[in-house]
Amino acid sequence: MMKKSMKAKTLFLAAAAAALLAGCSGSSDSKDKTYTIGIGQFAAHGSLDNCREGFLLGLAEEGFVEGENLTVLYENSQADGGMASQIVTNFAAQKVDLICGIATPMAQTAYGVGKKQNIPVIYTAVTDPVAAELAGSDGAPVGEITGTSDKLPVRQQLEMIRAILPEARTIGILFTTSEVNSLSTIEEYKAAAPDYGFEIVDTGISATADVPLAADSLLEKVDCLTNLTDNTVVASLPVILDKAAKKNIPVFGSEIEQVKIGCLAAMGLDYIELGKQTGRMAAAVLRGEKKASEMNFEVIEEAAFYGNTKVAENLGLTFPKDLTSSAKEMFAEITQ
Amino acid sequence: MLRLNDINKYYNAGTVNEMCLFEDFNLSIENGQFVSVVGSNGSGKTSMLNIICGSIPLDSGTIYIGSENITHMPEFKRLRRIGRVYQNPAMGTCPHMTILENMALADNKGKPFNLRRGTDKRKVDGYREALKTLGLGLEDKLHVKVGVLSGGQRQAMALLMSTMTPIEFLILDEHTAALDPKTAEIIMELTDQIVKSKRLTTIMVTHNLRYAVDYGDRLLMMHQGQAVIDKSGEEKASMKIEDLLERFNTISIECGN
Amino acid sequence: MTLILGVLEEGLIYAVMALGVYITYKILDFPDLSVDSTFPMGAALTASALLAGMDPVLTLILSFAAGAAAGCVTGLIHVKLKVRDLLSGIIVMTGLYSVNLRLAGGRANVPVFNQDTIFENPFLADVIPALLSPYLMVLILFLIILICKVLLDLYLNTRSGYLLRAVGDNEALVTSLAKDKGMVKILGLAIANGFSALAGSIYCQHKGFFEISVGTGTIVIGLASVIIGIQLLCPENGVSLPSRLGLPQVRPTTAVIAGSVVYKACISLAISMGMEANDLKLITSILFLIILVVSTERRKKVKGLA
Repeated sequence: MMKKSMKAKTLFLAAAAAALLAGCSGSSDSKDKTYTIGIGQFAAHGSLDNCREGFLLGLAEEGFVEGENLTVLYENSQADGGMASQIVTNFAAQKVDLICGIATPMAQTAYGVGKKQNIPVIYTAVTDPVAAELAGSDGAPVGEITGTSDKLPVRQQLEMIRAILPEARTIGILFTTSEVNSLSTIEEYKAAAPDYGFEIVDTGISATADVPLAADSLLEKVDCLTNLTDNTVVASLPVILDKAAKKNIPVFGSEIEQVKIGCLAAMGLDYIELGKQTGRMAAAVLRGEKKASEMNFEVIEEAAFYGNTKVAENLGLTFPKDLTSSAKEMFAEITQ
Repeated sequence: MLRLNDINKYYNAGTVNEMCLFEDFNLSIENGQFVSVVGSNGSGKTSMLNIICGSIPLDSGTIYIGSENITHMPEFKRLRRIGRVYQNPAMGTCPHMTILENMALADNKGKPFNLRRGTDKRKVDGYREALKTLGLGLEDKLHVKVGVLSGGQRQAMALLMSTMTPIEFLILDEHTAALDPKTAEIIMELTDQIVKSKRLTTIMVTHNLRYAVDYGDRLLMMHQGQAVIDKSGEEKASMKIEDLLERFNTISIECGN
Repeated sequence: MTLILGVLEEGLIYAVMALGVYITYKILDFPDLSVDSTFPMGAALTASALLAGMDPVLTLILSFAAGAAAGCVTGLIHVKLKVRDLLSGIIVMTGLYSVNLRLAGGRANVPVFNQDTIFENPFLADVIPALLSPYLMVLILFLIILICKVLLDLYLNTRSGYLLRAVGDNEALVTSLAKDKGMVKILGLAIANGFSALAGSIYCQHKGFFEISVGTGTIVIGLASVIIGIQLLCPENGVSLPSRLGLPQVRPTTAVIAGSVVYKACISLAISMGMEANDLKLITSILFLIILVVSTERRKKVKGLA
């Protein structure tokens, strides 16, 4: 019995290896105007999902419609670096025409593999492409790679907070010390805050488990909180919102999804828009109009206002007229 | 000469379960003596061996080899001059290594374990000769892993390995207890040959009263941390199994079992 | 072809680490979790060293040394402070996370796309004909793993190597040989984590960046490689695949390398079949369990004094 099942196991592994060997010779490369692209997303969360959705919309606007003339391979690495690398290698093996890397580590992995295989890479949701060495300090790509940055509109956010809370003096920010994007954004906040009469109080955490204690201690010291796009903190946002609500302290978000679930307001990026912009860049590359190396990375300049009137009501606040009138979207309830 | 002076050893000291193992225990063993030790379970036989080897710590007392105080020497350093064979045949050999590799390991005892070749090719013939003396045919299985050998074969190897390099003491901890009677007999014969030819000072703990009477030139019976019988020379030579059994029975009655 | 090369590259990089896990898990019988942090340690150190202008080949040696030092710490905690094996590894793994971030200059992501690496440098560009360049990485990795394997095989046949094998097999015997079994374990852990950090260094140079998350699950990959490789090619009992096919016996080190490649191939296959990363972890662990149960992996051993 034992021996038999061991034999079966051996056979399975051998078969797996054989299937793998067979699989790689059968990749299709028909040239009658259908394209295959691989989308690698580093982690699953709202804004990154929106990026992907927008990316496909952007491509569709330019005439690349999934299922018609476009085959889309999509993989999510669930924040596992090793997995990201295998996903991209698989894309390369299937000879995709273009790889889209969503979030910094995926973009870097895609670049590493893509440059060997001469596959252009388009990225999105990379906060600082220059620090990630995906672009030179002048914004020009380092190779066949370009895309869009989701750098937060720090000054517009500060301006909005000042408009809603004229009395506030201190803003608290919770961030994960190991997230590069958070570090650079905090620096920006600290540099810009005095111009709006604010002081930034930041508290670093190293893991999700630290969030409750860190939030408690931070809430003691500040008039309001504002979020970055810090993955760990955003994932624990409900905990923070709950604690802040009990102390009647407003929490500002950094994008639409956060406002939906209970942040007071945000001058946020529209990740769908960001995705669309990225999709249009990808379309240009697919059509052969431009090479990725000829396009500088792009940022969304204009941020839009999102507000949650239910949260405002709970806090006993009202939004200034000029903000609500320019709002991209207002929510009247808190989505759990 | 090996001397144990005023040895005190308690288990669970300071608790309700406190159990005294040794209280002011003294023992000295002359060079070249072959001491057989018998005694009921829990009488302190194996603990005595463990104390000599340093496998368990002492509460108080001193241990000397010759004039050297080894009381605080760690176990592995003491074992440089001691060879030990355990009751469990698996403990004297490495099951996943071949017979040859095991022999080489044992042969390197006392030498630096550096980056030289593990098995010195020039010594293989010597190992083969040594294995031949066991009469078990192991010399033809040099590349077989020890794990597949029988308990008796492993114990024979363990005995050979622990006496391969120059040692002063041989400690035998019920080393025939896990073997069938015939194999036990062979191992015991072998032990006697090795002890005699190398003139080793030997302490053998055994449950086999016949071995205790037949082998060795001194006999100890342990009971409650004391040597209740200690005979050597002529007295030992004239001891019979019956004498030991009688004493055992008296002890058992005293203990109420 | 690209897929085969990709799988080989991934497999060979992780094989270096798997050799380390082979030492701890198979030889020392020590479930060492520190590899989860020594792997990124090698990567972090390499990224910083490359940015500081260090020669890529030297970073390999540096990483090995740093990993070995971390392995010593695990060993010292276990041997000298008498902390249980699993916990010692967890302590080092947790602590090294911070150390790794420091080594990377406080950053969780350090790109080295523009630095010379062992895969991309002026010397190689001059020497290697363009025809060979698609295979270059695999060739270099092959060379590295070959050197590692041969050195390890040679080491395991030295006196010191014998002692290392003995300590996992039967601690009591090592004591009987008048050697400090604790020191031998520390040595083994040092070598194992040296390999792990070396693999991290290669990984960093291969991918072109360091990312703090690269260590996640390293131990699982290592264990899977060792178990798959050994069970497939040189099981302790039963007839091995090579001997069934009339091929010569392979060494365990070779089997481990093959195991790493097979493991990566399976993952690659699973991705190609459209499995999500979410499910892969569960599948890996089930596969793992099956292999463990099917094999008579749970060896019975003598542990200390009976």
